[in-house]
Amino acid sequence: MISTRIRTLAVAAVLLTLGGCASGVYAPPGGNQQPTSSERQTESAPQPPEAGARSDRERLSEQPQTEPEKPAIQPGYRDQGDDLSPAAVSLIQQADQLLAQGNAGGAITQLERAQRISPRSAAVYFKLSEAYVESGNLGAAEQFVLKGLSLSGSDTRLQRSGWNLLADVRRARGNVAGADQAQSRADQL
Amino acid sequence: MVVLAGWMVYLDAVVTSRFEGRRFEVPSRVYARPLELYNGASISATALRQELTLSGYRQGDGQRPGTWSQNGSRFVISTRGFDFADGSEPRRRINLVISGNAVSGLTVVSGENTPLLRLEPAQIGGIYPAHREDRVLVGLDELPPLFEQALLVTEDRQFYEHFGIAPLSIARAMIANVKAGRVVQGGSTLTQQLVKNLFLTRDQTLLRKGNEALMSLLLEWHYEKQEILETYVNEVYLGQAGARSINGFGLASQFFFGESLSDLQLHQSALLVGMVKGPSFYDPRRNPERATARRNLVITQLEEAGQIDKATADAARAKPLSVTSRPSWSENRYPAYIDLVRRHLARDYRQEDLQSEGLRIYTTLNPGIQQQAEKAVTETLSRLEGSNREPVLEAAMVVTSKDSGEVLALVGGRDASFAGFNRALDARRPVGSLIKPFVYLAALQQPERYTLISPVQDTGFALVFENGQRWEPGNFDGEQRGEVPLHMALSRSWNLPTVRIGLDVGVDEVTRLLQKFGVSSTISQYPSMLLGSVSMNPVTVAQIYQGLATSGFSTPLRTIRDVTDARGEPLSRYNLAVDQVADPAAVHLVQYILQEAMREGTGRGAYRFLPQDLAVAGKTGTTDGGRDTWFAGFSGDLLAVTWMGRDDNGPTAFTGSTGALPIWATFMSQVPQHGFTPVVPDGVQYHWVNSETRVQTDEHCENARLMPFIAGSEPQQYEGCSGDFSRRIRGWFEGLFQ
Repeated sequence: MISTRIRTLAVAAVLLTLGGCASGVYAPPGGNQQPTSSERQTESAPQPPEAGARSDRERLSEQPQTEPEKPAIQPGYRDQGDDLSPAAVSLIQQADQLLAQGNAGGAITQLERAQRISPRSAAVYFKLSEAYVESGNLGAAEQFVLKGLSLSGSDTRLQRSGWNLLADVRRARGNVAGADQAQSRADQL
Repeated sequence: MVVLAGWMVYLDAVVTSRFEGRRFEVPSRVYARPLELYNGASISATALRQELTLSGYRQGDGQRPGTWSQNGSRFVISTRGFDFADGSEPRRRINLVISGNAVSGLTVVSGENTPLLRLEPAQIGGIYPAHREDRVLVGLDELPPLFEQALLVTEDRQFYEHFGIAPLSIARAMIANVKAGRVVQGGSTLTQQLVKNLFLTRDQTLLRKGNEALMSLLLEWHYEKQEILETYVNEVYLGQAGARSINGFGLASQFFFGESLSDLQLHQSALLVGMVKGPSFYDPRRNPERATARRNLVITQLEEAGQIDKATADAARAKPLSVTSRPSWSENRYPAYIDLVRRHLARDYRQEDLQSEGLRIYTTLNPGIQQQAEKAVTETLSRLEGSNREPVLEAAMVVTSKDSGEVLALVGGRDASFAGFNRALDARRPVGSLIKPFVYLAALQQPERYTLISPVQDTGFALVFENGQRWEPGNFDGEQRGEVPLHMALSRSWNLPTVRIGLDVGVDEVTRLLQKFGVSSTISQYPSMLLGSVSMNPVTVAQIYQGLATSGFSTPLRTIRDVTDARGEPLSRYNLAVDQVADPAAVHLVQYILQEAMREGTGRGAYRFLPQDLAVAGKTGTTDGGRDTWFAGFSGDLLAVTWMGRDDNGPTAFTGSTGALPIWATFMSQVPQHGFTPVVPDGVQYHWVNSETRVQTDEHCENARLMPFIAGSEPQQYEGCSGDFSRRIRGWFEGLFQ
């Protein structure tokens, strides 16, 4: 049962790479020159209060002196995690080969490399979960599905993979109620 | 005669036991994480050059293994290959382009094709035995061509003929010594030199000479020539690096050339062989002229012995020394980090094994990030103190990878190279307001009672305990604002509403949450814990914030990926682990407020350093009199915790916002990374609301905020911009289809 699902998911994971690239990376200034001098920072550095004189409470205030005048940028969110990068996909393919040879430990090592490359991709955590199923560590397997689900966002295909996998893992652990709950989530999608 | 026989038996025991024991005593080697290169990997050209240097690469033609060349944004790198715990990374020559601080156009020119590869990891330290000798064990099959010939021609031409001592040489030496009335000449065989190194002190007495000869005979009697030669190659003393002695040609090759012994060319081999006579006198870094003359003598002897022709000898003598200007690694470059690694290793390994078994320890240290962290600490402290004050401020910093829990950098004090008090681990200080997110998380886990816009009272009160003591908490600024929305109370770090919420959900509930997130020490149950009277070290703070940064998944911090034995066989692996300790939906609401804190609240100062479009989340902390100033925050990739204060626990004129935050923000501004934009978890919906009047509203209305709610806890009332209720139905539909 579980291994059937793993194969389905492996295909899904590879398909995901057809999507776009990860969101933009912040690049600090001066990345291609020698390390920047502290000049830029000095200009914009906050003026610290005088050390030593600590008579009044205002000076110790954690609060900003004034509330911002313009409406500040509001907190952001997004509906989906990142797609797998091609480098992560190649590592997942290696992991699949290792799993096919029965080497779950080796697969986990390669999947952890993939996780470092694409840490916000749900698929990489689902694959880790599958590898832990193979290695017999169902507790870790369940946790990695949950982690993957937390990054699935509104992607119904990923959600369905995740809830199905969770149902299987919970069933294998003897948690029938939890398995049914996960299964019904998958079926609703 | 009996005495002599007895003495021989004693010496024999010494020789065999110590030869066997010392032959394999090798310190553990500690490596940084290897740099992974693939299309899209974020790294600047500057950072790539630094990584290459740290890994012992030299700028050159990019054709010889261990060299690289750069032409604008294009790099050619010839890797040396490396045996990692999970398999070998073969030698390759690659071309790559760095554009926009990322790798593009990676192509393998020679070697096995691959979309990604790892450079050899930089060695960042070792765990040395008490006598502080270091070595890289090499086998005779790893010696480069002509190395053995050069060694024997120079040091012991009769090595394969004699039986430990060379009587003719000794006789010659004795005559010279008798003439001079003291020991002036050696005439030692390799075996004798080895015995001298292994068993004897350095003073030159005739008794010692006698013992040396006897022990050499015994060694030859017990062991094969090849075993003796191999031990010699690994034992010979070739220099000093601070307190650490450089033993063996394998380590010397790394130390002087940054290359493997097997990769050395003739002129390099000749230099190492020549140095045996006087490692300090012929030190090529300090005495290059003497070293060159000595090297050329070795080459000439090889030529005279017929091992090489004149043309080869001339070419080798014409070469520069090609020694690296500095050792490609130095001991204790990152003492605070190695300290944490040792503590993690101590859970599974005995100190003796770490010192002698030649283990290889693969850590998660990211040298570039470590460098930026050290720089941010040092520069910010100097700036905050100004030039005319005694330096009294100290600081510590921990940087981790947000989703993997790997510790990327650790700074234990403003002098990062000083292996002393490690504040990141040993400074346990009250965390102040850093605790507040956990108070609010405890509340927001009850969506039927608390949402981001729940009204809370920012008004004073007094608690009277059973023993009659009163506790009257106050806000930092002494103000009281009456009824405020919950999210503002946390983003502005107001104390009064925090204590009210904390007492409502219960101190024990907040305690339980902290324990689930990773606090293992005892937490006092006084209500003052709600304002951070709890003490933690920076590493523990990083641990508990990891759970906040990853939507409720506690991720144990790790410094070690793998440990292998000296031959590369895996011994331990420390895997990524995650454990869901809180509802991702409730954590998402806290993440919203921690982002708001950076845009509007106590963390606003960060954007004096950071570009507006880099989204980050975090929290300040300050204790009475500015004794401790804290900042804990994260981007999409990194989590960093900074502490600033004084070692004597004296007051400072700083707060979390003005002390610890500038260190954090300076660091963050120097590292390429993704912003923090959390994925909306299952069961959370965003609505436009007016957080003052607690109603749903329209996007364009004044005071409208797009805020997350756990499904069902959003306000049921709708109010248009002018307080009109007519569009309520439409608003409801919009919510449905979001």
